[in-house]
Amino acid sequence: MEQPQATPGSLTWRLSSHPITLLTFLGFRISSLLVYLFGLLFTDNLVMIFIITILLLAADFYYLKNIVGRRLVGLRWWNEVDASTGDSHWVFESSEPGTKIINPTDSRFFWIAIYTQPVFWVLLALVAVLTFKFIWLPLVAIALVLTITNTLAFSRCDKFSQASNLAGSAFSGGNLAGSIASNMVGRFFTR
Amino acid sequence: MAAPSRRDYQNVPAVDLDDDDDDDLIDPDDADLNTFDDPLNQRTTGGTSHTTTNTTTAPPLTGSIGSTTSRQQASSWTSRIPGEDRTSASSATASTIDESVWATLRRDLLAVWRKLLEVLYPRHLFAAWGGPDSLRGAYASLRSGGFAGAREELAGLAGRVMDAESLLGTGSGGNVGNAGGELVGAGGGLRDWDLWGPLVFCLLLSTLLCLQSREQQREVVFSGVFAMVWVGMAVVTVQIKLLGGNISFAQSICVIGYTLFPLVIAALLSALKLHWIARIPVYLVLVAWSMAAGVSILGGSGVVKNRVGLAVYPLFVFYLGLGCLCFIS
Repeated sequence: MEQPQATPGSLTWRLSSHPITLLTFLGFRISSLLVYLFGLLFTDNLVMIFIITILLLAADFYYLKNIVGRRLVGLRWWNEVDASTGDSHWVFESSEPGTKIINPTDSRFFWIAIYTQPVFWVLLALVAVLTFKFIWLPLVAIALVLTITNTLAFSRCDKFSQASNLAGSAFSGGNLAGSIASNMVGRFFTR
Repeated sequence: MAAPSRRDYQNVPAVDLDDDDDDDLIDPDDADLNTFDDPLNQRTTGGTSHTTTNTTTAPPLTGSIGSTTSRQQASSWTSRIPGEDRTSASSATASTIDESVWATLRRDLLAVWRKLLEVLYPRHLFAAWGGPDSLRGAYASLRSGGFAGAREELAGLAGRVMDAESLLGTGSGGNVGNAGGELVGAGGGLRDWDLWGPLVFCLLLSTLLCLQSREQQREVVFSGVFAMVWVGMAVVTVQIKLLGGNISFAQSICVIGYTLFPLVIAALLSALKLHWIARIPVYLVLVAWSMAAGVSILGGSGVVKNRVGLAVYPLFVFYLGLGCLCFIS
């Protein structure tokens, strides 16, 4: 708890040491949700929304896995295949503490984003089931798989437990996120 | 215990305090005070950095409750994920954790391009089939004689593909192992799988096919083709795994996804309203091309030594089904 998060690494992008990376990351994360939720207001083409959402999700997955995790919090994970047996195993890499200076603002943004996104998609999955819009379920399933994979893998990477220091702050941030979520869900129902 | 826990304190001061308590719980009853590590001393080393305002007895209980529970929770469900932990300082790949964004993007785009090349030019197959000369012959006739001339050439090739086992197995005894080494080595590029190819080609295929369908059916066609591609890939992969192939699930999905490329061309031709008579030879060639790439990569990896034909047959059905879909759309 002596971590610099006590001096609030407040959630503003100006304090970030990689502002472009951070903003692009948040942009991908939020835009996939927005396109899914509000895309139909602008066009009747379900297929178009489906494709755009999937591409955004894939881009978000790739960007988070290979670039954001590495630059913001010094974590990375990948899969390696054993040449002779065909077995694959996962590698979780974290930078040695002390060698990389991690900006508290960046890491707060990172962990909040990484943990709230699956929650949103679970809610949207429930909404899709409850409103019998089963045509959206494959999309939501793909979104859940992609986001939860990243969440689990980065939690696994994080063996020096930066995330646990942020748990408290993430919860306080979660209230704001929760109110946004309920708003979105409400609008989804009224449509 | 004392040494490692002290080292941990430097890294995670808030966490290992309760590990220490657990240690106290399982200490033997008959141990006397001198056998213990000095707990007070340890606690103060851990606790001073932690809460300086608290008294020395309080730190283990206060201030760390939130973080310790979350840590325990996290370790309980994430430590079960199998895998290897690395720190960048100790690993051989230390150089890439601080590379620039462009370096990462460039590396991954190049990897995708290499995999696509593997499909465009199924070299394991041609190498086993008769060396580069006959391959050049096929390509030359493809260029000079147009599709009609190349059709027999590639139909013959497709015929041999059906006999893939003899092609890859007996054609050159060492070739299977050799090609396998190449596949997983630096040359093949398919050891490091990714899902960009399957994703993009699957989306392209579904989109192009649904363009020509009636307005009301579009969504059904799109979702149908989309689901069919993924289910088909999964089924073929499961079959290869059940035959004892030494390839991982994701690798196989990657290979099959990339070999969809010729079928995407077929779907594009359909979207451009190619006449149905012209479709027959062209689509046969394209299906054969997909097939050749699939056999080249899967067979070349030594997937199933004596059962290449058996392993590859459902793949053929899969390609043929998608080809028919392109034909009728």
